[in-house]
Amino acid sequence: MKWKKLGKIFDPTQHNLPNDCVQFAQSPQALVFDDFVRIYFSTRSVDKRNRKYLSHIAFVDMQKNLRDVIRVSGKTVIPLGGLGCFDEHGIFPMNVMRHGDAVYGYTCGWNRRVSVSVDTAIGLAISRDDGLTFQRIGDGPVLAASLHEPCLVGDCFVKVIGDVWHMWYIFGTGWKRFSAEAPPDRIYKIGHAVSDDGINWVKEEARQIIANRLGANESQALPTVIEIDDRYHMFFCYRQSFDFRTNKDRGYRIGHAYSEDLVNWTRDDEDPLLDVTPGDWDSDMLCYPHVFECDCRVYLLYNGNEFGRYGFGLAALER
Amino acid sequence: MFKWNKLGKVFTPQEVEGRNWLKEFAQAPATLVFDDFVRVFFSCRPSADENGQYVSYSAYVDLIRSNLFKVRHVSQQPILSLGGLGEFDEFGTYPVSVIRNGEEVRAYYAGWTRCESVPFNVAIGMATSRDGGETFTKLGNGPVLSYSPDEPFVLSGPKIRRFNDVWYLWYIAGRNWKMIEGRAEPVYKIRMASSSDGIHWNKVNKDLIESRLEEDEAQASPDVFFANGNYHMFFCYRYSSHYRGRENGYRIGYASSTNQVDWMRDDAKAGIDVSEEGWDAEMISYPHVFELDGKTYLAYLGNQVGRHGFGLAVLDGKLE
Repeated sequence: MKWKKLGKIFDPTQHNLPNDCVQFAQSPQALVFDDFVRIYFSTRSVDKRNRKYLSHIAFVDMQKNLRDVIRVSGKTVIPLGGLGCFDEHGIFPMNVMRHGDAVYGYTCGWNRRVSVSVDTAIGLAISRDDGLTFQRIGDGPVLAASLHEPCLVGDCFVKVIGDVWHMWYIFGTGWKRFSAEAPPDRIYKIGHAVSDDGINWVKEEARQIIANRLGANESQALPTVIEIDDRYHMFFCYRQSFDFRTNKDRGYRIGHAYSEDLVNWTRDDEDPLLDVTPGDWDSDMLCYPHVFECDCRVYLLYNGNEFGRYGFGLAALER
Repeated sequence: MFKWNKLGKVFTPQEVEGRNWLKEFAQAPATLVFDDFVRVFFSCRPSADENGQYVSYSAYVDLIRSNLFKVRHVSQQPILSLGGLGEFDEFGTYPVSVIRNGEEVRAYYAGWTRCESVPFNVAIGMATSRDGGETFTKLGNGPVLSYSPDEPFVLSGPKIRRFNDVWYLWYIAGRNWKMIEGRAEPVYKIRMASSSDGIHWNKVNKDLIESRLEEDEAQASPDVFFANGNYHMFFCYRYSSHYRGRENGYRIGYASSTNQVDWMRDDAKAGIDVSEEGWDAEMISYPHVFELDGKTYLAYLGNQVGRHGFGLAVLDGKLE
């Protein structure tokens, strides 16, 4: 497999976004229409009460050349959750998929904690207007912490294969204080759940499906899966669990694994398929991959430096 | 109407010495009967921290079976440790409900974490004991029952029961948070789930008890007891605001059911109310019914939701 980088395709600071969002276009996820591609992303406003960030979902519609912007969302795609709800302080990311006439949006909702910064869980919201707006099926999550997945359930990717709904997602294995001066950092791994309706999920309960390459303290995030030539390929991002924000040698890179049976995954990223480009927008970091097909081509959306503060880019698979 | 004869307060946490984690509160009594004593599990607190915040632990007191007003022993340590950094039970394990399962004792407990926009969140964990309930090992470091679309937060007050080899968990789930004079106050309702193993649960996803005081009535401690062909539930309920005094505070309610799921509320039948004066004159809450040597007892909390301990009443007649 070989990816051809097509460069950065969207910069949020060049557009007027709803909810007073000015920076960040993180975790781009595509919904393909007949004559355009809608790309959802998470952008951020600043909470006036405490100067902390709030993540909101927005989208950009692009021509199928994936270069020209048609429009950005003019209004709120999905409001944040209510007081005390799992998604009160942000939705980041949202995975979208068509199901019949509806579009299902699987959200990762953020809520702030006291001893640690945050917890997350996965919610479901449904759109009946082709993805312009989404309504939650309830105030609570469809997938949350459980016996052996104690925290930070999020970052899901959902795909129906045969008549089984598959969800790949991440779960926290715990928080750790790596140094006395720094706040606690989190460690998370990729897991898997199945469902027959997309609402009631059965987890494999803490089975880490992707082996560590950086040791036990590797954090793995945002899995995305595609079938190419009878083989399932998963892309995700991974990093060290502390000193990863500004240290480019410890920050996110894109990982890869493949599977024939959706049970056993072989990790295959010793030799990265996609790497940083010195001097470019993705010189220090590669993260939040999303793989999709459009007009018989396979593309990978992803974020570069600073976790996508200045937008996202694209690569195309060359065969 | 049932006729409960109040026997008075049985246990006062302030009288216990040498345990800095047990300074005040003895909340949500839950019993386990032994040959010559009754082990009553409860939840307690050390002194508040410098910010006035509490953590809560669970423990037990052994009462002499032939005279429940005599304390035989108080646990030397909490029965459960608090959870680790960022875990659901990092700041409290309260309340706890226990049940025998063959040689082991299972505890279902509510674990507390602290949040930024609201004071806390709660989910239900499970632990097992192989020494008759003296010490427990958590089944995992996450919850056994957690949030879902219709139960978004504050899953608390578990009461574990088993009827005809099916496990039942009655509990409460938060409905909304109300801002009252700048403070977020939770509204919660009584719910249930069933299970074949006590680990994997199917939620019924409905409010079991109709609200009576107001739409935002808060309901807690759904204690279910089977007797004479019916399921009897004693629970407590209060107004959603200004509930820390006599006026709007907790009272004990009652409902009955023939099938565990459909309940007929009839508080007039509960048969127990606040006293004119004394330890339970302002509020009564967290009822727990148990049978012992041919009598039916009700353990419950008095003023300040059990800050000064719990008491007992005995039924004159039968639950029917």
